Amino acid sequence: MPSPRIEITLSKTEEESYDWQEFCLRPKQLSTLDILKSIFFNARWNESLFITDCAERLILDPTEYNKQEIVNRIKFELERRGLDLKMTPYLQFRLIFVTSHGTKLQGDILYVSKIEKIFGDQD
Amino acid sequence: MDFDAAIRLTEILLALAFVQQSVEHLYGPKAEQRLFLVRLILSILLLIGLSTQWICVVLFINGIFILKRFQGPYNGGSDRMSLLILSCLCLIHFMPTLYLKEFVFAYLALQVILSYWLSGFFKIINPEWWSGQVLKDLFCFSAFPASENLRSLADYPKILCLASWAVIVFELLFPLIVLSQEILVMGLFVSLVFHLANTYLLGFNRFLWVWLAAYPSLIWLQQYLMTNFSH
Repeated sequence: MPSPRIEITLSKTEEESYDWQEFCLRPKQLSTLDILKSIFFNARWNESLFITDCAERLILDPTEYNKQEIVNRIKFELERRGLDLKMTPYLQFRLIFVTSHGTKLQGDILYVSKIEKIFGDQD
Repeated sequence: MDFDAAIRLTEILLALAFVQQSVEHLYGPKAEQRLFLVRLILSILLLIGLSTQWICVVLFINGIFILKRFQGPYNGGSDRMSLLILSCLCLIHFMPTLYLKEFVFAYLALQVILSYWLSGFFKIINPEWWSGQVLKDLFCFSAFPASENLRSLADYPKILCLASWAVIVFELLFPLIVLSQEILVMGLFVSLVFHLANTYLLGFNRFLWVWLAAYPSLIWLQQYLMTNFSH
């Protein structure tokens, strides 16, 4: 089954930027305390699962809702990380679906969003 | 466990599952906080046991609004199962006779049993599960491993093959829990371990709480069948 990855790029202007970075909420590792905590509270990870779901839905059913939900959650996460979006208010994201062919992994870009202003006055 | 105690325990466990989910959403984007603040308050009332039949109905309506908000379930199977439990509780409260109430509760138990058995059935007819390839892909490149270091599990194909078969056998044998109390206790213990492992490996914490809320129906059904149909 192809698995979605979300990549984002932030820029100062509406010009296309090619500095794609993976948008990922997965921690490198979890301590025993983190694992115990996650039984009771795993909000960020459940958000990550929902964004993955929206990415799959966007390919199967390209609605504005699914796109906007991804944009909103990326924005929410960037703000949560304390990123100053005033400097780079333009966001673009793309969806790459990864499949395995034997021992090799292959990623296909199936969706590229329009560049969108996510901070300040929306155009 | 008698019928009324099983229903009350289901309500308590479902309320706890909803409290857990609601608290997570209060940490999320503002747009969804209001719906989950309502769910949190209702869940606390259900936990206390105030007018539970009406609280269940309002929680169901709240659940419909949440489905609409996310254009479907937010957390896949766990949301579907919680709505199923809630629907059954609503029906049970408004059914006119004990026989019909028991019928609905037995239906819930059957759905829970099928949730494991069907999952096992679809795994055993898929050759990629036999070799452990599905779990290998899951850890290697899927979006599901709860932490990056868990991806290294993809390098242990023998363990993954063994784990695949352990899951398939557990899920296919799950319906046997109705046969005796000993098998029921063992089955529920193994399923608890299964959900804890899913929480650790894939971060599926909500499944643990929601399926736990459905267990009283299994305990009640097993006792009911033993009392009424054993020789």
